[in-house]
Parts: sequence; structure tokens; C-alpha cells
Amino acid sequence: MNEELKYVGQTFPIHDAPQKVSGELVYVSDLSLPNMLYAKLLLSPIAHGLVKTIDTSRAEALPGVIRVFTYLNTPNKTYSRYRIVPNQDFCLEDERLFTEKARFVGDRIAAVVATSLETAQEAVSLIQVDYEVLPVLSTPEEALQDNNTRIHPAGNLIYQYEFQLGELGLHNNDCLVVETTTHTQKVHHAALETHVCVADFNSSGKLTIWAACQGAFGVRTIVADLLELNYNKVRVIKMPMGGSFGGKQEAIIEPITAFLARAVRRPVKLLFDRTESIIATMTRPATKTRIKTSVTRDGILGDFIVDTVLDAGAYATSSVDNAYAMAKKICKLYRIPYYEHKGKIVYTNTPVAGGARGWGAPEIMTALEIHMDAVAKRISMDLVEFRLKNLVHPYDIDKASSLSLGNARVIECLEKGAAEFGWNERHYREPDKGRYRRGVGFACAAHKNGMYGGFSEHSTMTLKMNEDGSFILNTGLHDLGCGTITSINQIAAEVLDIDPSYITVLEADTEYGPYDFGSYGSRVTYICGACAFEAAKRVKEKILESASFILRKPKQYLKAANGKVWIIGHEQQTISYREIATIAKTKDNTDIVITHTYHGTSNPGVYAVHFAEVEVDTKTGRVKVTDYLAVHDIGKAINPGMVEGQIQGGVQMGLGYALYEEVKIGKDGKILNSSLANYHVVNAPDMPLVKTLLIEQGGDEGPYGAKSVGEIAFVPVAAAVINAVNNALGTALSDMPLTPEKIVAALQSK
Amino acid sequence: MQIEIEIEFKVNGKEYKMNVCPTLRLVDLLREKLGLTGTKEGCGEGECGSCTVIMNGKAVNSCLVLAPQIRGREILTIESLGDNGQPDKLQKSFIKNGAIQCGYCTPGMLMSAKALLMANSNPSEEEIKIAISGNLCRCTGYNKIVNSIKEAADGN
Repeated sequence: MNEELKYVGQTFPIHDAPQKVSGELVYVSDLSLPNMLYAKLLLSPIAHGLVKTIDTSRAEALPGVIRVFTYLNTPNKTYSRYRIVPNQDFCLEDERLFTEKARFVGDRIAAVVATSLETAQEAVSLIQVDYEVLPVLSTPEEALQDNNTRIHPAGNLIYQYEFQLGELGLHNNDCLVVETTTHTQKVHHAALETHVCVADFNSSGKLTIWAACQGAFGVRTIVADLLELNYNKVRVIKMPMGGSFGGKQEAIIEPITAFLARAVRRPVKLLFDRTESIIATMTRPATKTRIKTSVTRDGILGDFIVDTVLDAGAYATSSVDNAYAMAKKICKLYRIPYYEHKGKIVYTNTPVAGGARGWGAPEIMTALEIHMDAVAKRISMDLVEFRLKNLVHPYDIDKASSLSLGNARVIECLEKGAAEFGWNERHYREPDKGRYRRGVGFACAAHKNGMYGGFSEHSTMTLKMNEDGSFILNTGLHDLGCGTITSINQIAAEVLDIDPSYITVLEADTEYGPYDFGSYGSRVTYICGACAFEAAKRVKEKILESASFILRKPKQYLKAANGKVWIIGHEQQTISYREIATIAKTKDNTDIVITHTYHGTSNPGVYAVHFAEVEVDTKTGRVKVTDYLAVHDIGKAINPGMVEGQIQGGVQMGLGYALYEEVKIGKDGKILNSSLANYHVVNAPDMPLVKTLLIEQGGDEGPYGAKSVGEIAFVPVAAAVINAVNNALGTALSDMPLTPEKIVAALQSK
Repeated sequence: MQIEIEIEFKVNGKEYKMNVCPTLRLVDLLREKLGLTGTKEGCGEGECGSCTVIMNGKAVNSCLVLAPQIRGREILTIESLGDNGQPDKLQKSFIKNGAIQCGYCTPGMLMSAKALLMANSNPSEEEIKIAISGNLCRCTGYNKIVNSIKEAADGN
């Protein structure tokens, strides 16, 4: 890893930057096909009720309306929007295209397909529905207590986990017990582009779906199985996306659009407006986590008991796995002699919960780091010192997965970060007593790199050399706008030793391209990046073989650099990649192309420690984040500028999670803030400068030692900010988000 | 039958005269009628700024502008930036400084930035943040966007 790298480790702009700054890039919402129709949905205005009667006649009679669909004229088949592969566990199939029973405000009752969006909208308002209203269960507690009201036939408790790892009571002597409870809230992913899909079906018998998705092959599985089509007759094309953050990783809108296109045999565009994206797609799940730990007086953790309840909303989707993921995180971060985890996943009559950036890690790690501060305070130990005594060391084994955590450098992150941030000086200064009070906080976090140890998953890529010495790298990748294509491009360029502009990297197309599991579980750099590395290595070998044939010299006497090859000692007589490719083709019947499938054989931890300074206005309860440092154990930053961009974006999202954002539900299940006017996302004036410090020590199997960043960037943010607020005020707030009202109330009750 | 009104206006230097429904939003006029899909819609209620265009020198949310309001006005959209495929200073600065990730907020951001620089060629960091306070970004955390605008301005 000591050689000079040319392309890996450099900051390149995102691959389609010119198209984005000129407005040329076509997103799905910009897509227009000949003969295209527009769909609009009727969503339930009530949180729980049976559809008693539904009259679509006035809608159908409106000129320009093609068809109207409800549960009465659509398949009775249920599916799971979370499914990625055919025989996947914990894919509860409890969802229908259109429901006969409204289970949340926003549930899909009907769809209109019409010749214009305005006509479709008008027709939706002409559909008359009579509901038999049922009691609303708006919280998991209500849902668990009410034995008479079942949201789904099998009952309101979807699943529960319970497991124990390690040895109970190892440090029984002289231990203190500390208990904390943290509430995390439902959050809207708030990608700037709302949910949208275009689908087409014609006499070829083929369904084409232009999807802004994170897993084209998963979308194909769900749609093909639902509509009973062969997979070779369903083409899913991954399109440019205006952000996702997990909100588009489940097949929410694609099955509906596909069904409509197939039914009307014309292209159909279904575009959600912002309100529909907030209430009728998916939210981050709300959770309640109680942590009870025993700790020795000199700060060593003993028994670690966790109890979580996850609010799945009205349909199960990914919530069982999401809750399970919460159970597998803490042992990646701390050395814990005994870990016990109980988790319940519960239906409620609220917007559907699903995967969101971090996928369980933010939910559990926010609770964890709030708890760790509480424990340190209880034993009067310095907050940093307490972590240092319990954090994992490099190559520790993760109790929960039995895998090595690899070169886990979280201790280094904490020590270097504390020094860089001036933690001691800031933390131990005299507390402010006036109206404006400053405080500092930090949080440690762990995440993973791919699904190895949990799911079988792989990536296939085809790298082919064109006659002029340029390349096409065909992949099943999904760039969510985060720089995936650019970093894969850099990796291939580094191996081939050629400028990245000579390599075109393609994204997922289930018909034209190879298979990839999808953009989940922070697998893209670690697994897909490694696949690109391996494919490029093999193509480089083939290039040298062809060069060997041309130069009539065995490979070991050859050297390749900068897209040229020569015999060692004869640097002046180079042949170019172009010459090699053309001669190989025309004289040796050789096509330089490799298809490679790669799967992981390890899953190291990836770590970050974030430090925040806040200033709280005790009169209004407003919190200003005045300083921020993010330290990341990244292994190797393939594209440092993009890594920094991911971290800064993760912090923007995390500040919202800590302080402002919540999809608020009333007791009747009505959503109180379904608009960006009252769902508050951090804007530029409220965003602090986010400094980053990257620890690049490699040591694991990612390309050039790289580990993930996209999710871990978000995981520690909320806890760092909450810990800072509690430090500033001497409070122990843990009910998120920390709104001004809650802060003022806490100060008044002190 | 829908009422229609006749409006005359200019977009990106070109003059138009059309008959439109009086409740037609500018964002739809641009995207659907003129095929200028560079301007995006993110919320439809003037909160996210994705639809920002410049109208008579001021940055406006085109989702809140109705057809009668554009009579006699000059509108600039993202498509007006740059010269024949060559990005302008602002666009180059965005590219160079990593201000673009998913790109959905980018057209609106650039138009707010351009409107700012048209009125104030040397804005402070605070002034930049206020100029883009109505442009939400979920990907970048704003730091690099602010730097890009500052760098583009410093060159003046």
C-alpha cells in the first residue's frame, strides 16, 4: 500500500457533474415517453378503517381518464416491498397494491390513470369512499395492549427477538447499575427528489421500469413475481436519483406503476408530491430503547442489557431485519462481557417504517452513547477515559457475528479527535450560567462493510477493452448521487494505470448488465469496489498476455504504465493499449474482456467519533451548533473530497435528527406535519462548518484498504449533539428530537 | 372549457407569446411547455428552492409564480448559464469544489447564487448563506456549496 497512487486518493468531481450543473441530466421526473399517461393515487384520509363501499363511476366518466383501479379490480396477491432475493427470510408479505382496509393515513385506496396529471388529480377527487372506521393504534404501547384491534390478522406484535451473548455477572463484585431510556423518532428521508417511477408494457410482452431505486434486481424480483412475468421479461433500469438515503431502497412505487402500465399497455408515470413522499412511502422507524448496564467502579462494563421496541408502522416491510440489525451493533464498538438483547417489532396505524441511512445503527448507537455518558457521570469518570477502557481494539472478535472486526481504529479516532477538538479544555471549562450556555459532546459509532456474516451477496462486473484502448465497465451499481460511479472508476483506473476518463462505468440494468445485490449495508465500496479491483487486475493480465504475444516476450519481462507496455530495458519501444487491443483482435482473435463475480469474506467494523460544540439559548430553547469535528476510521479514502462531502451531508441529516426533524402523528393517526413548511430540515444558515479528520490505516480487504462512509457518517451525529446539549445544560435529555419546547420544559423543571 | 390568457415573456433571452391557463405555474410552463427540464420541483410550495429561477433579476420559486405574473418579464433558468456547452465560472466552481452530489438541488442553488452575484459581486459568507437559505440540500451539508460560491465571487 506504499506505492504512489495516481487516481485512488485523489479528489475527482462526481462523474456527471457537467450534466448536473447544466440541468441536462434526465431524472425520472424529467422523463417523457411518447403516448405516456399519468397516474395519481387516492390515499386514505383515515388511519384505520375498512373500505365499505367505493364508487369510481364519476372518476371513470371524466374525459381523459383511461382506467381507475381499486382493490376490487386488482390482484389479491400480497407482497413485501423489502424483498431483494426470492427466498429471503423475514419478508412478510402483508401489502397489496390497493388495500381493502386502510391501515394508516396515506394507505393506497385507488389509482387513476389519465392523459394528463391535472385530469388524474381531478378524477381522484371524484372517487367516493365509505369507510367503516376502526380504533386507531397510534403507538406501539397501544398496539401491544389492545387485544381486540388487529391491524393485520396475525396480531400487532410482528416479531420479537431475544438473545444472550457471553457470560452473565462476570464483574459482580462492587458494580453499579445504570439505566437510561432513549426515544428516537420517525423521520422523513427528505431526498430533494420525491418518489417517481415510469413503466411501460407493450406487445413485446416486456415490462420496462425506469426506477430511481437502490436495487434494480430486487425490484425485478418483486414486480415479476407479483405480475407473474418471467424475470427475462421485466427490465428494470436504474436511473439518476435526486437522493435516497434508504427512502427509495424498497419497492414502494415500482410495483404500482408496473401494474398500471401492464394494465393499460402504455407508458405510465407515477410521481409523488412532497406530502405523498412524506406520508405514503416510508419513514425511519421510531424506537424506544432501554439500556441497563453494570459497571465496575473503575469503569469496566459488565452486563449490558438492551430492550428495544420498534414501531413498524402499518406494514412490516424491513422492520424485522431492521430491529435485528439494531441488535448486532453494540458489540462492534465496545468490549462487552455479557450482552443481552430483547427486541419487539410492532404494527401501528402510522406511516410505514423502513430502512434509513444507518439502518438500525443510528437508532441503537444514539441510545448507546447517551447511555455511556450517563454511566461515566455515575462513576465520576472522564467521558473519554471511560470509552477508552471499553472500546474494541484492532482485530477483536465481534461477539454478535463471531467475525473479526479487522483493523478497528476507533480508539485512535477518539484520541486524535479529542486532541484535535481540544476536548479537555472545552469540556472542563467553567460552565456558563447566563442565558447562552455552551457545551461539548462526542459520540463513538460503529458500522459494517457489506452483508458478509448475515446475507449471501455478491457483485458481478464485466470489464471490456475497446479497440482504441478505452474501456467499458458494466456493473449492477446504483449511484444514489453519492459518488459510487466515480470511486469505482478511480479504482479501475488505478489498476489499469490509465486516466479515469478512458473508462465508462455503467449502472444497473437488469437486461443489459450484470447482477449486483444492491446499494445496501454499506457494501458498495468494500464489495463492489473490490469486484472492480479484481476485474481490472484480470483485464490487466490479459492485456499483458496480448502484449507478450505482440512483443514476443514472456510477461515477466514486460512493464506497463500509463496505458503503454514495453520490454524492461527498452522503454523507448512502447506499444499503447490501443495497439494492443486492436492487434489482439485482428491478429490473434482475442477479445480482452473479463466477467468477475466477487463476494466478501470478511466484514470489518468501520468507525467514527464525532465531536460537537453547541450553544443553547436557555430562553428560547434554540440550539446552535457552533463547532463540529468528524473523525473517521476510513481505511483509505478513495476520493477524499467525496468522503468529506458524505460526512458533511451525514452531519446535516444528524443535526436534524437530534434537534428538528420528526414526522408527528396525532392520536387519531393523522400526520401533523406533512409538508416541508413544518417538517424542518437544516438549511445553510443553520449548518456549522464541519471539519473532518480521516484515519487511513488500511488493513482489511476493501480496495486499497478502503472502508465505508455513507452510513457511518450519520450514525454518531445525533448523540454527539445531544450529549453536548446535556453538557451545556446539566440535563439528561433523551427524547428526540430535542425541540426548543422540550429544552425549555426541562430547564423549567430543574 | 378552461379560460386561457395570452402572455408575452422572455426566457433565456428568447421571446415567447402563448395562450395559457391563468393558474399555470411557471415551473410547469418551463418544464412541460418549453421542455426546459433543468428546473426541478421538490415540494411545490416554495420551501425547498429546487425550482428557483431568476425573474427580472430576482431569485424566485417558480412553483409559486403563476402565468399572469410573468407577463413582460425576463426569466433566466439553469439552461442560460454557461456558453455553448462551456460551464461558466459559478458552474466550474461547483464542479471543482465538490458542491454537487445527487444534483437535484444544483440548478436551484446555482440560480440563487447567480442572482446573488448579479446584485453583490463580493458577498460575505453570511450573505451567501442567506442567499441560499431557501435552497435545501440533503446531500452535501452546504459547506462545499458555500465555498464554491465564495470562490466564484472572489475571482471577480
